[in-house]
Amino acid sequence: MKVILETKARKKPFLPIEAESIIPRNFLNGTELTVFEGNKERRLSDIFRIFVEGTSVTPEKIEIVLKGDTSRIKRVGEYMDAGKITIAGDIGMHCGNFMSGGDIEVLGNADAWLGREMRGGNILCRGNAGHYCASGYRGEKTGMRGGRVEVLGNAGDCCAEYLTGGEVHIHGSCGDMAGVEMKGGQFIVEGNATRPCGNMKDGTCMIFGTVHEMLPTFEMIGTRVMTDRKVTMTVYKGDIANRGKGTLMIQK
Amino acid sequence: MTELIIKNACVFDPMQNIHGDIMDIAIRDGRVVESVRNSADVIDAEGFLTLPGGIDSHSHVCGTKVNFGRYMSPEDMRAGRTARRGKMHVTSGYYVPTTYGNSYRYSAMGYTTVLEGAMAPLEARHTHEEFTATPHQDMLANTLFDGNWSIMEAVAKKDEQRAAAIVAWTLAAVKGFAIKLTNPGGTEAWGWGEDITGIRDTVPNFNVTPADIITTMMKANELLRLPHSVHIHCNNLGRPGNFRTTLETFDLVPDLNPNRQTLYATHVQFHAYGGTTWRDINSKASEIAQAVNAKPQIVMDMGQIMFGRTMTMTADGPMEFNLHCLHHNKWSNHDVELETGSGIIPVLYSKKSLVNCVMWAIGLELALFTKNPYQCLLATDNPNGAPFVKYPEIIGLLMSKRYRDEEFSTLHEGTEQRTSIAAIDREMDWNEIAIMTRAGQAKALGIALQGKGHLMPGAEADVAIYPIKCREVDPATEYRKVVEGFQKTRYTIKRGRVVARDGDVIVEGANSTFWVNPSVPDEHNMAHDKEFVKKFEEYYTVQMGNYPVQDVYLPRGRCIGTEADL
Repeated sequence: MKVILETKARKKPFLPIEAESIIPRNFLNGTELTVFEGNKERRLSDIFRIFVEGTSVTPEKIEIVLKGDTSRIKRVGEYMDAGKITIAGDIGMHCGNFMSGGDIEVLGNADAWLGREMRGGNILCRGNAGHYCASGYRGEKTGMRGGRVEVLGNAGDCCAEYLTGGEVHIHGSCGDMAGVEMKGGQFIVEGNATRPCGNMKDGTCMIFGTVHEMLPTFEMIGTRVMTDRKVTMTVYKGDIANRGKGTLMIQK
Repeated sequence: MTELIIKNACVFDPMQNIHGDIMDIAIRDGRVVESVRNSADVIDAEGFLTLPGGIDSHSHVCGTKVNFGRYMSPEDMRAGRTARRGKMHVTSGYYVPTTYGNSYRYSAMGYTTVLEGAMAPLEARHTHEEFTATPHQDMLANTLFDGNWSIMEAVAKKDEQRAAAIVAWTLAAVKGFAIKLTNPGGTEAWGWGEDITGIRDTVPNFNVTPADIITTMMKANELLRLPHSVHIHCNNLGRPGNFRTTLETFDLVPDLNPNRQTLYATHVQFHAYGGTTWRDINSKASEIAQAVNAKPQIVMDMGQIMFGRTMTMTADGPMEFNLHCLHHNKWSNHDVELETGSGIIPVLYSKKSLVNCVMWAIGLELALFTKNPYQCLLATDNPNGAPFVKYPEIIGLLMSKRYRDEEFSTLHEGTEQRTSIAAIDREMDWNEIAIMTRAGQAKALGIALQGKGHLMPGAEADVAIYPIKCREVDPATEYRKVVEGFQKTRYTIKRGRVVARDGDVIVEGANSTFWVNPSVPDEHNMAHDKEFVKKFEEYYTVQMGNYPVQDVYLPRGRCIGTEADL
C-alpha cells in the first residue's frame, strides 16, 4: 500500500505542523487522522491531498510518501515501528523521534533533531541534517539506543550527542561538539569535526577528516590500520577528565 | 451554611478508636458536626473505606530547591503530561511535577495536608507562592536552622533562651511551622570546604558540635511550646555504618513533652545502614527500631525508596556532593547565606543494584519492626526515596507478606543476606495504615488540635473515601485491590467540599498555610536585639526590614499562636 500526501497551499505557510500521527501503522484504518497546525487541530485532508494506492493489512507493507513543501512539518515518523516513509523534499524538526523500526528516507535536507532518541530502524538523509542529529533531547541522558542514521550531506552541531547504541554515519562534515557525551554505539564522520566527543564515556567514534580544536583530555594509545579503507588511524581513549572509556579514532 | 452528610461509611479513625464501624459523617461549614438537617447534601459511601484526609509529614513539593529540580530535569517534564480539563490546569512531570501536578495527584490519593520538609528562611517568599499554587492541600513549612550563624553562636554560649528567641523571630518572620535541622553543622562545615563525620565533631569556626545544636534546639523548641517537635535529618545520611550516628542522636533525646514526641527523625531509612563501605552495606533497621520502641519520645518516618527514576533534593549539600561523585551525573549545589545549603541530583533506583535493594528492605523493616505505628510514619521523603504517587504500593507492601515476597523474589540475590525483610511475617491492618498515613502525622505535627487527622465533632472535614470494601477485601492476598484503591479515592473531601472524584479534581482549591507565631516577652524580641540586628545588617544581602514575608504572600494563612515560656 502506498499513501501519497501532497501538501496543499496554506494561508500561513510558515506555521509549523505537528504531525506525529503520520506513521505507517496509523494508516491501517484509513486516513481519518488529525495534525496540529499551530494550535489548531486539522484533518489530514485539510493539509494534504491524499492518494492511496492498494491496501495492506500490516504496517510493514505501507509506504508513505510526502511531497510538496514539507519543510515545516514536524515529528513525522514519531514512534514509528514498521513500514517506510519517503520524503521527497525537506523535512521539519524531530523527524523519526523514538522510532523503533522501519525506514525513513529524506531526499532533501532534514531540520534539527533528526532521529532523536531512536531505538531501531533506519534513517537515510540524502541532503544535510540540522543540529542535534541522532541525539538525546534536553536533559535526557540516554540518546539514540539502536538503529542506523546515515546522512549523505553535512550535519549540524551536537550530532550524536548521548549516543548509546546503534550507528550514526555522516558522509559530510559535522559541526561543533560532535559525539559529546557518547555512551556507546558507533559514530563515523567522513568529513571534519570540531571539538568532538567531549565527556565521552564509551563507544567508538571515527573521524576521517580534520579535527579542529581537539580536546586535551584524550590520551593517545596507539594506531590502528583500517584494512578495508587502507588508512591508518590514531587511536585515543577518553574523555579521561570524566573517567571515560570511549575510543576516538582520527585518520592520520 | 453548607451541609453534607456521608452515609454508610466504613470508618477507621484511630484517634477515636473507631475500627471499621459503618457510620454517617455529618459536615457543616467545613467542620465535622454531630448531626445535620435532612436537607443536607448526601454522599453515599457504599460501605467503602473512609479515613480522615491524608497528611504527609515530610515531603518536598515547594520552594526553590524543588524548582531547581524542575530546571534541571527538562526530560522529566515530558512525563506525566495531562491536558487542561474542567477545573484542572495543565500538568507535567513525574518526579518533580508542576505545583498543580503535585496538588492534583495528592488529592486523587486522598491527601489534604502536606508539610514541606525544608524551607530556607531567606527563600520563604517563593515557597509561599508555590504553596498558594498547590491549592488542594493545607501546607506547612519546616524552616531550616541547621547552619544559622546566630543560632550557632547562641548554642556555643549554651543560651537556650536566645536560641528560642531567634527561632521565634524567624518563624514569625518567614511564616514557618517548625524547626528543621538538616545534617546540623555539616552543611555549614561544608561551606568552609570541610565535613563532619559524627555528632561529636566540632563545626569549623563555631565552637559547637551537632550534638550541642540538637540538644539546644530541642530545649528551645519546648520553651516556645511549638506544636511540632524538632524535625531532624540526622548527620551522615547515606553513609554505610551511619546507624551509629543515628543511635547516638536518639540517645540525646530527653522526654520533654507529654503530648507528643520530642524529636521527629525523618527518612530514617537513609540513616540505618550498617557496614563500612557500599560493598558491605547491610540493614541495621532492627537496631534503630529497637531504640525507637524503647523511646516513646521519638517519632520517625520511613523514607522508603521504591524502584524507578527520581530526584534527590535536600538541604544536605555535602551528601549530595558525595552522591554526585558516585554517579557523575548532573548536580546542583546551592548555599544560602548564613542559613543553610542544598543539593539536588537525579537518581535511578534499580533492582539490579544490591545497595538499592538493601535500601528498599530497610524502609519496610523500619515500619514492620516498630511496634507502635504512631512512631513510624509512612513517607518516602518525596521525591528523594520515590515520588509520593508510590504510597499506595508501600501500603500494599506493608499489608501483605505475599506482595513483599513477590517483590523480594525479583530483587538482587544478595539482598537476603544483608537484610531480614524476608523473615518478617507482620502484616499491618487498616487501623495501622490509618495511623501511619494520617493520625500519626497529625499527632506528631501537633495539628490534631487544629482539627487534622481525625473526625471528631469540630474536626476539619477532610475525608477520603477509597473504593475498597475493607470488610470483604483481604489485604494479605488481594493486595492489588488495596494498591488500586489507594491510588484513586472515590471522593476526596476537603473542608466539607468534594474536591476530587475518582481521581479527577473538580473544583478550584482554597488551601490554607499554617504557620506558627510564638509570642515572646519583649526583652526576647530579636527585632530589638542590638547584636542580632547588627549582624543582620552586616552580613545578609537583604535589609532586616525586607526579610519578613508579608501577609500578601499567604492569602489564606492560618496562624497558630503559642505562649513562649521564656
